[in-house]
Amino acid sequence: MTLADETVVEVAASPAALGDPARPTFAHASEAEMARILDFYAVRWAYEPDVFPILWSVDGEVVESFSPDFYLPDLDVYLEMTTLRQRLVRKKNRKLRRLRELYPAINIKLFYARDFRALMLKYGKLALVESLSGSSGQVVPERPAEAEPSTNLVAPPAAAPAPPAEAPPRLADLPGPRPPSRRRPRTAEARRLP
Amino acid sequence: MSANVDLVGDIGEVLLTEAQIQTRVAELGVEISADYAGRRLTLVSVLKGSLPFMADLMRSITVPTRIDLMEVSSYGGATTESSGLVRILKDLSASIEGEDVLICEDIIDTGLTLNYLIRYLGGKRPGTLRICTLLDKPARRLVEIKVDYTGFTIPDQFVVGYGLDYNEHYRNLRFVGVLRPEVYTSAG
Repeated sequence: MTLADETVVEVAASPAALGDPARPTFAHASEAEMARILDFYAVRWAYEPDVFPILWSVDGEVVESFSPDFYLPDLDVYLEMTTLRQRLVRKKNRKLRRLRELYPAINIKLFYARDFRALMLKYGKLALVESLSGSSGQVVPERPAEAEPSTNLVAPPAAAPAPPAEAPPRLADLPGPRPPSRRRPRTAEARRLP
Repeated sequence: MSANVDLVGDIGEVLLTEAQIQTRVAELGVEISADYAGRRLTLVSVLKGSLPFMADLMRSITVPTRIDLMEVSSYGGATTESSGLVRILKDLSASIEGEDVLICEDIIDTGLTLNYLIRYLGGKRPGTLRICTLLDKPARRLVEIKVDYTGFTIPDQFVVGYGLDYNEHYRNLRFVGVLRPEVYTSAG
């Protein structure tokens, strides 16, 4: 069989497939690799489209938030990647637990270093793992560190917008500065199992 | 690489013996035959890993059955860099419109390939489209997929044998085993 015999099937459009000039700058090489994998399998994604407040001050101001790396709109799932060593992911695990407590309706998957390694092994790219993981994989300067929670912070305060269990509010729905608007790639037809 | 492959010695642990596999495949055949009683089934094997599974499964199914084969490129494979998109390397040879189709997979982990296939085959308007997998590794799932028939749910380990490969080797093992990590770490 020649390449000409092959059929390229675009069952969905991703930003990369569309040549979207707004393709984001990824904070980490592993995220860029994940985006390429999602593109390859025609899974639409948005990069850090939503910010979820997870901790408020007593004055009701958001002091800590969580912005999952990817949102896959067709699957309605968030994907958070961390390629740090397992013992270093405590803070992220804590934030994720908090997120799940406050927004139980959202579906989020945490992709650990071991998951990324397994994915690279599956795709025959194990040799690249080291360069795509941990501090080696950071492709832009680290974003400003978020304030560590302290004991005088409570969440959520009575005056703060309490997240409903059914449909968690996104920052755009909350008072205060609006986050960047979510980029919504083109919708694609996808037949489901009968 | 090929000269250094020790088919059995590279296996750290036998996860599923040949007998366990054959017993379970026969059970799946009975279950599928009952579910599709009075109907005609089209089995679609996703090359290359599911070939042994489908070969055994089809002989355990007692309803009239057609078979067809599909192959899609894998991320990281030879065709990845050219387009960046998954390719259908081998498409179905016959129409499945209105047919009862059962996709036979060797293993489901992330679900990315299967998610693509479901959408692709769904576009061919089958009467029904269901999923049968020999192995399910739910710990790796990125895309949630309803699996209708599962042979075994396995732990999060890299397995080969009974169709599953590493660098195209180990497919011909009659059992499913965990590949010793030094095999793929030394291969780098």
